[in-house]
Amino acid sequence: MTADHLADKYQPPPLDPDVDTLPKWLRKHYQEHPDQVAMRDKDRGIWQRYTWREYYEKVKFFCLGLVSMGLERGDKISILGENKPEWYWAELAVQSAGGAAVGIFADCIPSEVKYYVEHSDSTFVVVHDQEQADKLLEIKDELPQVRRVIYWDEKGLWSYNDPILMSFDEVLELGRRYDRDHPGLFDELVDAGKGEDIAVICYTSGTTGLPKGAMLSQAYEVLSLTEWSKLDNWHRKGYEYLSFIPPAWSTEQALGISASLVAGTVVNFPEEPETVQENIREIGPEVLFYGAKLWESVNRIVQAKMIDSTYLRRLIYRTFLPVGLKVADMYIEGKRPALGWKLLYTLAYQAVFRSLRDRLGLSRVKVIYSAGGALSPEIIRYFKALGIEIKLFYGSTEMGIISNPRDGEIRPETSGRIVPWARVKISEEGEILVKSHFMYSGYYKNPEATRKKLDQEGWYCSDDFGHVDEHGHLIVIDRMEDLKPLAGGKKFSPQYAEVRLRFSPYIKDVLVVGGENRTFVSALVNIDIENMGRYAEANRIPYTTFTDLSQKPEVIEIIKQEIVKINQTLPEHARIRRFVNLHKEFDADEAELTRTRKLRRSFVEQKYGDLINALYGERDQIAVEAPITYQDGRTGVIKTEIKVNRIDE
Amino acid sequence: MAHVLEAKQIELHFGGLQVLAGIDFHVDEGEIVAVIGPNGAGKTSFMNCINGFYRPQGGQILFKGKDITRLPPYKIAAYGISRTFQNIELYTGLSTLDNLMAARHILLKRGAFWNFIYFGPTRREEVKHREVVEDIIDLLELESIRKSIVGQLPYGQRKRVELGRALATEPQLLLLDEPMTGMNVEEKEDMARFILDIAELKKIPMVLVEHDMEVVSDISDRAVVLDFGRKIAEGSPDEVKKNPDVIRAYLGAEEE
Repeated sequence: MTADHLADKYQPPPLDPDVDTLPKWLRKHYQEHPDQVAMRDKDRGIWQRYTWREYYEKVKFFCLGLVSMGLERGDKISILGENKPEWYWAELAVQSAGGAAVGIFADCIPSEVKYYVEHSDSTFVVVHDQEQADKLLEIKDELPQVRRVIYWDEKGLWSYNDPILMSFDEVLELGRRYDRDHPGLFDELVDAGKGEDIAVICYTSGTTGLPKGAMLSQAYEVLSLTEWSKLDNWHRKGYEYLSFIPPAWSTEQALGISASLVAGTVVNFPEEPETVQENIREIGPEVLFYGAKLWESVNRIVQAKMIDSTYLRRLIYRTFLPVGLKVADMYIEGKRPALGWKLLYTLAYQAVFRSLRDRLGLSRVKVIYSAGGALSPEIIRYFKALGIEIKLFYGSTEMGIISNPRDGEIRPETSGRIVPWARVKISEEGEILVKSHFMYSGYYKNPEATRKKLDQEGWYCSDDFGHVDEHGHLIVIDRMEDLKPLAGGKKFSPQYAEVRLRFSPYIKDVLVVGGENRTFVSALVNIDIENMGRYAEANRIPYTTFTDLSQKPEVIEIIKQEIVKINQTLPEHARIRRFVNLHKEFDADEAELTRTRKLRRSFVEQKYGDLINALYGERDQIAVEAPITYQDGRTGVIKTEIKVNRIDE
Repeated sequence: MAHVLEAKQIELHFGGLQVLAGIDFHVDEGEIVAVIGPNGAGKTSFMNCINGFYRPQGGQILFKGKDITRLPPYKIAAYGISRTFQNIELYTGLSTLDNLMAARHILLKRGAFWNFIYFGPTRREEVKHREVVEDIIDLLELESIRKSIVGQLPYGQRKRVELGRALATEPQLLLLDEPMTGMNVEEKEDMARFILDIAELKKIPMVLVEHDMEVVSDISDRAVVLDFGRKIAEGSPDEVKKNPDVIRAYLGAEEE
């Protein structure tokens, strides 16, 4: 056994019984400053404000409305929709009644929705709009325990008359009436809440097997957010936060719902998922979470826009970006830049970075997080050059946050130091083992799986491969199961190459494969249709479809050059020797990506098994036929030939 | 029940070319009527007669009992007949929002002088119009392009803006000329949903010129088939599809 990376003697803060649950926090805000703004929602083109009083009253009456229809302590409700205040209100309402909320991703197909609602024993389902209501109406006969489906956006539902449907406002009205008949009941319900009550069940994205419902307690939500916000110095600063990562995900549960109550952030809801980029500029949030893929895409957008920009602008950008990168490197290496560099950087910042940050809506950001997939060091370095320090933390739904880069200690390849409330140990196989004061309360209805996650000494097995470096920074390399063998007993990490390849503006996604009886590594590439299309237009390369573009010789050559570049950073045996440009994009609707857009490796490898085998054969062309599933559940087939491309050193 | 729109024996010719020959046509409350037919059948010409772009040489068009046959287009628009065009006609240099607001012009109560001063009631009027426009933006999901310049939008979105502009005039009858040409399947489905939403929420009767039989079957209550300026069939979309004359004239012939 290697060393136990033990944090200092840490004592968790005591749980104040007056505010040991999120609903009690809500009541406290309502009592102390009812007229302060708690959240904003962009509607009809205007930012509408909700004060703590309004937040509290919506929660109170929605809660009583549900109680009047038979909701009891310990019951669950499922919530299905985009980020909107109603999601928060519904969640706090069920928690006020001593129940738990179950979040469902808005783009889940009906069969997935059915699994979550059924498995969690939800008695009510709160849905966003017609699109989501339709999913429930399709499966309601298989879900006898669901009493009501409550929607908050009535658009398109005007003439639906299914008795199971009910509007959000109707429930509020029921609640108002119930409050008149039972004054004081709401306070009693809230008072009955305790820290150990389950607040939410977050279904883990399930890179393997059926999703499991991780139960998070009220005490977990309250304490872990208090400690986390203090650690990164944003506790009670009244920072603005833009809520757009899926609330079904534990990260939004923490940074959105819990943080607004416990750490005093103001939550802002974008008008529509498509308007996030515009809305983020209007709000200028100080606390921000972008998933790894989103940082990559922001970077790609800047690169592509620069290619399209005027000559002068391009010149200025290309002159000053290296200054930013140089200074970023100095900080990353722990050196203090000399005065000359600082002056140059100030100039670069005023000339380029300041307005670039403003364009991206990042002009005021102070606390910037990322997680949920490895992030290329190049990206971290790039944003550091703009003066944006991305904290790539490491954690999971079950473990909470485990390591987090501290201010001034950000190094691109690590996930920072272990947080004070957790301990980390590396097993002989290289697996990261964890003990933490703030962890989940087990999987819902699955004690077997819960037990399996712990070893004999009670360490939680993360399934992640990694190590702790000499500075005490945790480096997470890959999933244990995803380290891949090659012939001759060597191993390689596909993800390492993939992340770096995805940094290319022309590559949207990529799967790198090998195998025990294979002597080299290959790649399946998804070209980035937007940037590659722009390139094709600029260079007068005619194309019709995604498939057609992907097989153009010029396009193949570009991808080849990108791979050659990455190959140089890889050890001899792990270099990519062959690749194909896939004829279609990986798609969450076909289960190739998880709902948080992580590649489902084993599934994809199996699905493209024949193709991968052919990559190791002698042929130069492969016929492919791929069944595809549209969002509404219909299926189709595409047939085509794709080229196998070789890379010789 | 009186028809919302009734056209009797419409005759239209350009010199020696007979374009419409004795067309009878009507639209009732809450109805979506499709006008279909092969290219050159006279569908768009018929629409142009209804909204006053063309003056038919014979026949009569009644809108809610009023004779509108020879009125100029702007007067017909003021009566509450609004339309979209096969080739989009928008202010390409203005934003989506401004295009919709401009359409409200027809409903402005105060003249240029009061709008120049922009005070008190005039200001309140502007706010009221903006609210209506925001409802349309919400209905047609135009939020993300609210402030985009229309000329720079992709085709499918421009079609949607055009529909929005037609709605902004608070029409009592909507004429949609090929609202789905040049769209992919997904865009067509979206557009079909918007049309049904409008019918359901605003109860506006609609006349729809469309090529795509599938779209017609999905969203219209009744279909009228034109061929060489004559009405050759009328009925539910499914009946019409089975009509042998229609199959010969339209479905069996080469499309486009």
